Amino acid sequence: MPKKHKRPVYLNLVKIRLPVGGVLSILHRITGVILVLLLPLALYLFDRSLQDSTAFAEISSRVSSLEGRIVILIMVWVFAQHFLSGIRHLLLDIGIGDSKPIARRNAWLAFAASGAVVIFTGVCLWNA
Amino acid sequence: MERMRSLGSAHAGMMLWLWQRLTSIYMAGFVVYVIVHLSLSPVRDHAAWIAWMALGYVRLAWAVFILSILVHAWIGMRSVYFDYLPPLWLRSIVSLLTALGLLVLGLWAARILLA
Repeated sequence: MPKKHKRPVYLNLVKIRLPVGGVLSILHRITGVILVLLLPLALYLFDRSLQDSTAFAEISSRVSSLEGRIVILIMVWVFAQHFLSGIRHLLLDIGIGDSKPIARRNAWLAFAASGAVVIFTGVCLWNA
Repeated sequence: MERMRSLGSAHAGMMLWLWQRLTSIYMAGFVVYVIVHLSLSPVRDHAAWIAWMALGYVRLAWAVFILSILVHAWIGMRSVYFDYLPPLWLRSIVSLLTALGLLVLGLWAARILLA
């Protein structure tokens, strides 16, 4: 190890430059925690939507309002990001794309794909 | 080394690793199935939603899905706590609260699906 720099005394999170795979990895964790925190809301909506037709209609109208669609789109991104980086993780486990260049390309691919999912969902929501 | 030992046996970690992957594969398949199904036959009103959810296999698939979420969330949150909450007392309290929260969600989901 070259002794060009002194070891950092503390970790400055702002100064750490993660490679794309590292960013994807930490985002997998962050989105995972967000999804867990969203579970009560999701289960509440699931419960209410099944109860009666007025609740179902109320949820439908809330979801299709502008604010509702924006919230849905953000949630879709969080889920798609977690889903796609998870798929990459599963593929890495069975030895697919575990060489450095392919792993990095797949990390970019996961970002691109989650972006594509959000755009596609947006197009569907705004044309429904 | 003391801390390493308190994490449990290597076998236990292997089982967690395996369950995390098994649940993720089921959930991925289920989500894709639901998206494809809803695209082909959209649920337009409450009656259609109830009718779909009344099917035995759909209800069972949802039950396994929700159980998978809870197991997956538990293992995932535990590994996050092990990495970012070093004090044992803090990790224990947060883990206990997480377990209680997931248990309540599980009982709630059971009540919905058995109704």
